[in-house]
Amino acid sequence: MINLLKIEWLKLKNYTAFKVLILFFGAGIILANYVVFMVHKNIMARAPGPGKAILSSFSPYNFTNTWQTTSYASGWLLILPAMLLIIVITNEYTFRTVRQNIIDGWSRQEFISVKIMMALLLAIASTLVVFLTALVFGLSSGTDFSFNSISHVGFFFLKALSYNMFAVLISVLVKKTGFAIGLYFIYLGTENFLSQLLDVWSLKIKKDSGHDLGSMGDYLPINAADGLLTFPDNPLKSLAKGTLPTDYYWIVLSLAIAYLLLFIWWSRQKFLKADL
Amino acid sequence: MPILTAENISKNYGKIKALKGVSFSVPEGCVFGILGPNGSGKTTLLGIIMNVLKATGGTYKLFDEAATDAHRKKIGTLLETPNFYHYLSAVQNLKITAAIKGHSENDIERVLDIVDLQKRKHSKFSTYSLGMKQRLAIGAALLGNPDVLVFDEPTNGLDPVGISEIRTLIKKLSASGKTIIMASHLLDEVEKVCTHVAILKQGDLLRTGTVTEVFTQSDIVQLNAADKEKLKSILGALNIYNRIDEVNGIIELTCNAGVANLAEINRFCFDKGIVLSHLQIKKSNIESKFLELTN
Repeated sequence: MINLLKIEWLKLKNYTAFKVLILFFGAGIILANYVVFMVHKNIMARAPGPGKAILSSFSPYNFTNTWQTTSYASGWLLILPAMLLIIVITNEYTFRTVRQNIIDGWSRQEFISVKIMMALLLAIASTLVVFLTALVFGLSSGTDFSFNSISHVGFFFLKALSYNMFAVLISVLVKKTGFAIGLYFIYLGTENFLSQLLDVWSLKIKKDSGHDLGSMGDYLPINAADGLLTFPDNPLKSLAKGTLPTDYYWIVLSLAIAYLLLFIWWSRQKFLKADL
Repeated sequence: MPILTAENISKNYGKIKALKGVSFSVPEGCVFGILGPNGSGKTTLLGIIMNVLKATGGTYKLFDEAATDAHRKKIGTLLETPNFYHYLSAVQNLKITAAIKGHSENDIERVLDIVDLQKRKHSKFSTYSLGMKQRLAIGAALLGNPDVLVFDEPTNGLDPVGISEIRTLIKKLSASGKTIIMASHLLDEVEKVCTHVAILKQGDLLRTGTVTEVFTQSDIVQLNAADKEKLKSILGALNIYNRIDEVNGIIELTCNAGVANLAEINRFCFDKGIVLSHLQIKKSNIESKFLELTN
């Protein structure tokens, strides 16, 4: 596998789009969290007396909140590594180098494995950046260090994996760069819309019959990994209505892992059997 | 040892049958031409053997063993188009090829010399002309000096000088003992370069064998008479021809080269009471043979 990854590196190290997207992603995580940090600070500064008291009870980048806030705020940027994967994999089809790699002696298994491995490595690297960002913001908050709520960094990793493996799947299924990126966004949008409908429906069921099915929107493939990442509980959030209890945690987590395995299995099956 | 053995390979794209049970064998050390018009299934056939397309049926062997990925590393292949990373230079691209095939990078300079790309070796592939791309693909196939080469339309996109250079190169490679499998729609290319040939037409393998076997020279005797039916009936006793056809109202006898003697045919018919109104001999060349085979 090391040898395969070295070859993958030969393909990427001189690719401008690769460097640009990686840079945007790294800078984006830091910037996004900085914006959240500043917004909170400004609200605090301008809030009138009684509100200020409620707000000051909550600080997003204190330990232990920093793990959760950073993971949540950085989550939407995971679109970037996913785009990168789509571009890199569909390029292989556009340039027909997928054919040439196989012709030159790679097995189909090797080709798809190294792409899946790359998706995994990108997820690990993204998580590492989030971990360090959370650590730096946490340490600068002046609160005592704590690993409590570190599980949210784990949820971020799961979401990163989910976004990346879904990108691999779409690329292998669609093969054309523009079409694949378009489909990726359309799918995310559609699933989000459906998940809102399901959430509303869950609330209605709970109200009408008393059956608590959790927020069913989180049972959909991408939303399952998304749903575990939430903004820390805060005074404002408790004012918002429609929040469902999260004791469906294990169901959502298991579903997220199951969907992840499905993405990997499907990509592999498709690649091993298709005409390239 | 046969380098490649194809057994009953078929490929369907939906209802379209691109290959209909093709079998042939490529002996070691030959230049094997796969000849056929565009769309006859040449690239599909090679794509299946290179594992980029999945056959609907049939099997194939490489180096007389069940084909594996390791076998492909020992074959230099140019399939259909030059396939490279557009944003990388020739050298960067060849490093990837060498790494996949498990060859050292030291061979890169040698192949760049052979295909005359030294001057542009650091330019991006996307800036290359069609001919340069094709030459780079041939260079990539030569990496590691493999004993078997597969060239699909190797002279595609090249100018006359380039075409002649590539043909000379193929002959040189063949003279050094390499086995070359070459797909082409150009009859003249196959005739000039190949020792063996397989002719494909719409997925059917029409003929395979040595070039001399397949393109055996033959003569065609054309004749006609007022009473064509009687002429046909008496010709049954004339045992000099292999085949009798009627083309545009004229009877054509296909004979082995040098067998037909017009004076004797004329006397034969006259003795049987037929006066010929038309008698002519036509030498068949490879081109008409090819057209005859594929039409």
